[in-house]
Order: sequence, then C-alpha cells, then structure tokens
Amino acid sequence: MKTMPNMRPAFWAWVAVAPLLIFLGVLFFFPALSLLGISFGEDQLTFEHYLRIADVPIYRRVLLNTFAISALVTLFCVIVSYPVAYLLATVSPKVRKILFIVVLLPFWTSALVRTTAWIILLQRKGVLNDLLTGAGLIDAPIAFVYNLSGVLIGMTHVLMPFVVLPLFAAFINIDRTLVEAAEGLGAGPYSIGRRVILPLTAPGVIAGATIVFLNSIGYYITPALMGGPGQTMIAMLIADNINRDLNWSLAAALSVVLLLCTVAIFVVFQRVFGLERLLTGSASRGSTAKFSIGNKGRTGGGWLTFACGVAVLIFLIAPILIVFPMSLGSSPFLSFPPESYSLRWFENLFEEAKWMRGVVNSLQAAGVAVSLSVVLGTLAAIGTMRVGRRMRPWLETVFILPMVIPVIILSVGLFYMLAPLGVIGNPATLGLAHSVLAVPYVFITVRASLVGFDRNLELAALNLGASWPVMFRRVMLPAIMPGVAAGAVFAFIQSFDDVVLALFLTNIRSRTLPRVMFEGMVHEIDPTIIAASAMIILLTLTLLAINLLLSRRQS
Amino acid sequence: MKAIRTILLAGAFAAGTCAAQAEEMVFASWGGSYQEAISKAWLQPFSEETGIDIIQDTEPEVARIKAMVETNSLEWDVVTGGGSTLMRGVAYDLFEPITADMVDQSHVIEGARNDYGVPSEIFSTVIGYSKDAFPDGGPRTFADFFDVEKFPGMRAVPDRAATVLEAALLADGVAPADVYKVLDTEDGFQRALDKVSSLRDHVAVWWSSGAQPVQALGSGEVVMALGWNGRFQAGMDEGLDIEMSWAESIAQVGYFMIPRGAPNRDQAIRFLNYMVQPEAQSRFSEYVAYGPVTDQAWEFIDDERQARLPSTPERLKNAIFMDIAWWADNATAASEKYRQMLQK
Repeated sequence: MKTMPNMRPAFWAWVAVAPLLIFLGVLFFFPALSLLGISFGEDQLTFEHYLRIADVPIYRRVLLNTFAISALVTLFCVIVSYPVAYLLATVSPKVRKILFIVVLLPFWTSALVRTTAWIILLQRKGVLNDLLTGAGLIDAPIAFVYNLSGVLIGMTHVLMPFVVLPLFAAFINIDRTLVEAAEGLGAGPYSIGRRVILPLTAPGVIAGATIVFLNSIGYYITPALMGGPGQTMIAMLIADNINRDLNWSLAAALSVVLLLCTVAIFVVFQRVFGLERLLTGSASRGSTAKFSIGNKGRTGGGWLTFACGVAVLIFLIAPILIVFPMSLGSSPFLSFPPESYSLRWFENLFEEAKWMRGVVNSLQAAGVAVSLSVVLGTLAAIGTMRVGRRMRPWLETVFILPMVIPVIILSVGLFYMLAPLGVIGNPATLGLAHSVLAVPYVFITVRASLVGFDRNLELAALNLGASWPVMFRRVMLPAIMPGVAAGAVFAFIQSFDDVVLALFLTNIRSRTLPRVMFEGMVHEIDPTIIAASAMIILLTLTLLAINLLLSRRQS
Repeated sequence: MKAIRTILLAGAFAAGTCAAQAEEMVFASWGGSYQEAISKAWLQPFSEETGIDIIQDTEPEVARIKAMVETNSLEWDVVTGGGSTLMRGVAYDLFEPITADMVDQSHVIEGARNDYGVPSEIFSTVIGYSKDAFPDGGPRTFADFFDVEKFPGMRAVPDRAATVLEAALLADGVAPADVYKVLDTEDGFQRALDKVSSLRDHVAVWWSSGAQPVQALGSGEVVMALGWNGRFQAGMDEGLDIEMSWAESIAQVGYFMIPRGAPNRDQAIRFLNYMVQPEAQSRFSEYVAYGPVTDQAWEFIDDERQARLPSTPERLKNAIFMDIAWWADNATAASEKYRQMLQK
C-alpha cells in the first residue's frame, strides 16, 4: 500500500475519479440526456425545434441577453469581491468570523425575500430614492429596478460570495515575504496590486468567476422580478416551455443550444486567455507566513481598499437589515417602514407545522448533499490533477456540466427515472439530486486550492515513510482545507436554496423550506416567508454569538 | 392551515381506528390564501359530510402531472389550474373527460364549461388604479387605460400576452364579440401588438406574479394596473388606496380536474359534484373575492359581497371570457411575438 501510489499513479488517480464519474453517469447524464434527446422530436426525428430557434429572432435575442447579463454580473462580482476578500484577509480572526456570516447571509433568505427587499429599497418611491432626493443629490427619482440595473444589483448581491470565498482562500495563501520584497524594492501599492496580488489571486478569481458565470446563466427568478422585458433570460423561456406550455421538445432544444454556446465560450476563453496556464502557473510555494499587513500598517491604498470593502459589506447587508422591520409590519402588502407593527407573521410561523417540518426536511436533504458532494468532489479533484494531461480537460468539463444544464431539465429527467422506483418524496432522494448540483462547486474550489498545493510536500511525506492516507490527513488535507470548506458551504447553499428540484422530487410530507416559501407565490407574497427569513438570520447570528463567546472563554 | 393539520390529524386518527373502511382523496392546489379558501369553503365541509379524508398537497404543475401520469406514479385525485393548464393537459391526454353522468354541469354559466374540468370559480382581469392619483375619477374602460393623455402616469401590465392583447383590442374599438376573430388574423394580431407597443414608454412594471401590480400600486410606483380582481380586492381590504373599474373586464375560469389514473377516482367525482352545487359555490367568496360559476348561487350571497365579485350577471354583460381554446392553439407563437415586441 505504501508504495503503490508511486508505482501506479495514473491507476490510483482513476480510482479517485471513478466514484464521481459513476455517480454523475447515473444521476445526471442518463436523466439529462434522455430529456435532451426529445429536442429531436418525441416520436420521430425532426429538427423543427432547432429551426424554430434559428428562425424566430426572440431566441437569439434572449440567448444574447443571457450571456451579456451573466458576463456583466461576473465582472461586477469580481470587482466588488476584491476589497471584501482583502478586508477578510487582514482583520482579526474574530472579526473575520462575523464578516463571513455577513457575506453568506444573503443565502439564508429565500430568493423571493431578497428580491422583495431590494425592490422596496430601490423602487421610485423606495428608501434609496427618498434618501437621495431628501439629501438634494437628485431632483427626480431614478429607476433602479425593473431594468438592467435592477438585475445586476440583485444578481451581484447573491452571487458575490462565490467569488469572495475562493478569493479569500487565495489571499491568505499569498506569501507575505513577496509583498514585503516588492515594497522593499520600491513598488507602490498600485504595482504591488497589479504585479503581485493580482497574479497570485488569479486561481481563486477564476474559480469564483466560473461559478458565478455558470450560475448566472441559469437564473430566472431575480431577472423576472427585478428586471424588465429587456432582461428576459433563457432559463425563463425553458422553464415556461416545460411547466406552462408542456413544449418539452422546444425546451430541450433551447437547453442544447445553451449548452453548446456555453461550452463554445469556454473553449474560446481558454484559447485566448489560457485559463490552464493561469491556473497552474501561479502556484504559491507552500509558505506558512499568512497574508497580513506589514509592520508599517495599512498604506493609503490599503485604507482605500478597506473603505471599499466596508461599502460592499453595507451593500450586502442592506436588504437583510430591512427584512426585520418588514417582518413586523401588519399589512401583507409590504412597505418600508411599515405603517403599523404586529407579530402576526411570526404567529403564523410558529402555528403552522409546515415551516418547522420544512426546516427539518431541508436540513436532511442538505446533510446528504453536503457529505456526498464533498467526498465525491474532493476525491475527483485530487484524482483529476493526476491523470494524464490529455484527459484532464475532458474530465473537468464533465464534472462542471451539471452547472450548465438548466435545473428544470434535470428535475424532469430525474422524476422519470426515480418515480417508478417509488423513492420520490424521501428527503434522501432530494439530497442525492442536490449532490448533482453541488458537486461541481466542491470540485472547482478544491481544484483551485490544489493548484496552490506543493506536490513536493506530498512526495517528501511519502518518502519519509508516511502512508498515503497519513500523508493525505497530515499534509494535503490541511493545505486544501479552505477549498474543501468553501466547497462544503457552496454545496449547502445549493441544497438550501433549491426550489426547482424540490418541486418535482418532494411531496406534502417531505417539502423543504424553500418549497414551502415558494407556495402561493403566483398570486401573493405571504409575509410569513419574511418572518421565516428573519428567524433564520436571527438563529445564524445567535449561533455565531455563542461561538464567539465560547472561543473567548477558551482563549 | 391549522385546518389542514386538523384534517391530516383527523385522517391519521381515522386511518388508525378503522383502516379498512377509511376512504380518502388527495387534493393538490396552489397554496397560500387561495388554497385556504378552498379548504374552508369545500374540503372541510365535504370531509365532514361524507367522512372522506382529504390529504392536501401543493404545486400541481402540469409538467409534474404529465410526469406522474406517464410514470404511473400518480398521487393526486383532484388538481386545480387555469384554462391554459387545462388545455395543455388535454392536448397530452392527462385529464379524464368529465361526462354529464359524472358531474352535471348544466347549471354552470356557459362560457365557463369544459369537457375535461369542472369550473370552480371566476376571476377577472380588470383595471386597478390609485384613488390618490385620480381624485376626480379614474380610468373606467380599457380605452382609458391606454389613453396616457387623459390619464397620465405609469402603468403595470402583465409580462405575458394573454388578456393584454384582448384588452388592447377592446381599447382600440373592437367589439367584444369580435376580439378573437380579429386576433385570429395576422393583421388583427399585429394591431393588438401595436396598441400594446404604443403604451410601452408608460409601463413601469411588466409583472410576472399577481402580487406585483398591487404592490406597485400601493407603493406609488404606478398609478394604474391591469391585474386580477381578487388581488386588488385583498389590497383594498388591507387598506391600500386602490379602486377597481368594472366597466370592462376579461373573465377567466379556474378548473378542478381529475388526472388520468387517479387512485381515488370515485371520491374525486363525489367531491367535484359537491363543489359545483350552487350553495357550495356561494361559500367560496366568503374567503376570497372570486365569483361563483353558476347564477343559482347568487341567492345565497348578500349584496355587499356581490359588489366584490366579478361574475354577477350585470358585470359579465361587459366582460369577455378568455378563449382558452384560442390560446391553446396560439400560445407559443403569441408569446414569441409579444416578447419580441417588448425587446424594443
């Protein structure tokens, strides 16, 4: 056992990759492809759906919208994430814990609650416009929502953490001596940023940007509620054709076109910018000195970045803060500040058993999804780094594909596969399905952290007589832990935020919290969901406070 | 919702004591206050009267019904949906035909009847407007809604074509009886699109969920909206400064269907028969402002409540029923052109 990995590395790499390949083969490729197949007709071979997409201008327009909006959102996420990651990397661990919660809070609320809060902040007679006109900065209210800016604000807000976390992991791995050396050689903050920080954080940014871009492509609740008709995205048309019009062939054809366009963009991107070179060329060399401020304290640029970071944090937390007063409003028609206060929504929340049951079901599904996707994704990431160069890009594409296919396609495909087995309605089944969504996130983040892992350490440990498992536990795992942790958080979020799979794979007994929140939404917004979000946020903050108090006692 | 739990508990109790005889039925609808109204008006009294336990589920997406029917894993006996859901399902053979032997619908308003579903309620797309913005009287007809000079201010309009194209043609002077004849021609369809397009600069919100137009009116984002009467009414009941115009309206029907292969088909038929009776029909509007599907229900409804409902004979005189067969045939093409027009 001890020497096996050195003798047959490729064999063991494939052993590590195989479980995820089999898992995705059964629970992703089979169900997704069987539905995508009907894009060529349900009974006989036809290309009419593809011809229609080529022929009717709206589909081209919406595809273009989708990619343009996704690219813009990715750009914004990267820009606003840098100051936040810098902030996270340079504050004390205790403050960092609090800031992490702030960054992740947007996910603890349902998409519907988030968008409602934003609309109340941003609309013509909303909080922001009132502040701006009140201060005399503008004469007439600005239209922030129901247009492109609304979509960009809403999507950047919720997708940003996907860049912040890997970027933070990259920041704290930066060798401090490099920064000091650059300073010693007379580099100003600008050239340090451009020539030291930027290249060293590139793997983290690329991992995060990839996640944001692929995630954006599938968005439709936020654009539908915060955008205008000019921001219609392709996932909306696909979901409509599945759910409303039952035009599954057209939905499948749209998904195939979307898939091909996305892959094409990645190939071009890779050729032009050399993603692979960027990913592998900038590995920092196993330093133990963490990134921090030098002895001289923050420079002017540092303070500026710090201030930007704080501003972005305020942007992140603003809609969360107004959730609390909103949850106390007495009217089901939300306004801010509420005209009168009551506890009626909290009473609803505690009176109706469905909410607590929803939380329990959600946690069960998330438990399965996180553990399964972390194990499979980490193994696969380690294995992929060790298979031959030629196979590697193929494997990477295969493992990232579940992010590109619209979730609704997977939902329907999985239902047809699982319903005859009688396992629909079991939270574990939903957890399995969520693992399919979650595993690319783990794969991407762990892979990014492996790039920064020095293979020589592994070889040294093995040569010094450590078995592979011991080496993994004592050498490799600690090094890639930030990536694994970020992956686990993302996996949890994927599961905890999912409505689409839950609509198909749960029933009255196994409804998850997001599904309970989603009900009735066609007609009304039940403020109980806002109370539920407020409770979840309070609970998170309480856990954080307890954690902080305990750690103080220990130290 | 308490009620649902009571039913579930009662069901569990009954199943425990007399498992052999217990009859049950699974009902699926869209949650929220709509399903609560159904539960109070029909499910609970029916359950008490017949001893049939009703289990309630939610979100009966027609896509899931199709998947359930085709995989032989149907869990639902009665599902609810609008006209387009019904017609889509019929096209894929998902619903049982409802014959006169099963449910007698002869007393139902003619425009609401269908061979594959039993109508449950009538709701209307109407103009809702802010009283504050129009102290001297607001818009009455669809022509007023499209007249930005007489009634200035921003509007909220559905982001989907159904009911908007009809309102546009009525506003453009087409007679109610001719609306679908005109829409059926290429020129007529374009005429409707052009009319909507002319209003584009005055639309602040293209809404996708029924709550949005009420929210937008309440916050002052818009001064008038095309929306569902029940949602406007709920806003008015909560004290929002909104008024509805009944001068013209587009009526739509909600349907209850039995999916093919429903496990408790007999109980489902009994329930549909119960629900469509005039007395039961009159009860629904106690909980939500949707109207009965039979004129015989009016004698059980007092004047005050009648004033809130869209399907009084007088209001139906000025209404057209949305033609769900036309929409079933033209949904994809109409939606493509409508979206294209909105892109500028």
